[in-house]
Amino acid sequence: MGRVITVTSGKGGVGKTTTTANLGTALAMRGARVAVVDADIGLRNLDVVMGLENRIVYDLVDVVEGRARLRQALIKDKRLPELCLLPAAQTRDKDAVTAQQMIDLTNLLRAEFDYVLIDSPAGIEAGFRNAIAGADEVIIVTTPEVSAVRDADRIVGLVEAAEKGPAVLVINRIKPRLVSRGEMLSVEDVLELLAISLLGIVPEDETIVIATNRGEAVVYDPNSLAGRAYINIAQRLAGEDVPVMAIPDQQGMLDRLLGLFGRRRT
Amino acid sequence: MSFLNSLFARKRDSSAELAKQRLLTVLIDDRYKLTPEMMAQMKADLAEVLKRYLPAIDADQIEVTLSRGEVHDLLKADVPLRRVPDHHPQR
Repeated sequence: MGRVITVTSGKGGVGKTTTTANLGTALAMRGARVAVVDADIGLRNLDVVMGLENRIVYDLVDVVEGRARLRQALIKDKRLPELCLLPAAQTRDKDAVTAQQMIDLTNLLRAEFDYVLIDSPAGIEAGFRNAIAGADEVIIVTTPEVSAVRDADRIVGLVEAAEKGPAVLVINRIKPRLVSRGEMLSVEDVLELLAISLLGIVPEDETIVIATNRGEAVVYDPNSLAGRAYINIAQRLAGEDVPVMAIPDQQGMLDRLLGLFGRRRT
Repeated sequence: MSFLNSLFARKRDSSAELAKQRLLTVLIDDRYKLTPEMMAQMKADLAEVLKRYLPAIDADQIEVTLSRGEVHDLLKADVPLRRVPDHHPQR
């Protein structure tokens, strides 16, 4: 039986969909059978991030309402035969699905795949509750910003209340230079504030933008720092005993000293 | 010393430190939904109970704060006592 893992955040735009796509791809590259599910009904996006938007025939709501069988709706990835996408419906709203239907759906998927990754919509309403309804585990994605951390804390509480906890944390879009200058919350700061355990960290990285433009996962790019970070997270998710990847500070010690003196003069 | 401090420790006025302190307050408020009125009432109730045992309690000076801890969040009450003249109470 596979693990059903929901990726959620509270705040929008922090990288849930990118995280789902890349973790799914990284796990499938390791040989696991993976289904990624877009639970953001009405605001379908996982398909374009993965470059599979042209192949959609049926969607999640079609399966739930019995118009299509699960196998018909699942779309095979371009490169990895063990990776499948179940797209969201684009023309319906989040009330099209109930929590019980999501539980039934995840049970079907759990029987066929090693990992079922569910991309949750932003927010704390029905769409979010549906997305965690069938989950065994929850990953919360945040960025080191006050609004994202505040919303993440709300989600931590809601996940605990739904007895899906404890959730684990991915901190996305870290800018090491800004952190070392004391102008961005550090990983330690965020962990202290949210008091949940850390699954992994991802640096801010231009390669994400480029890969997403192309509809490709960034984990295929060996030169991408973010790609390597997602591979590290996938390893940890799979239970490998590896430490959280360190993000190299592109700014060296000398630069930091010079920067320090430069600032002191002003 | 101040050079070492600025190299290894974060400046108190850095924006990250400010963000962290603001978030600490906001997260506690979000979580416990303790309104200022409830807080004032809690202080008054605390003072009333504690005064039964310690008449020297200065009810107006009680400070109650909520903070995040590693394992538990913490409710902390600072209760100043008025210094009483140095004599032994008669039994």
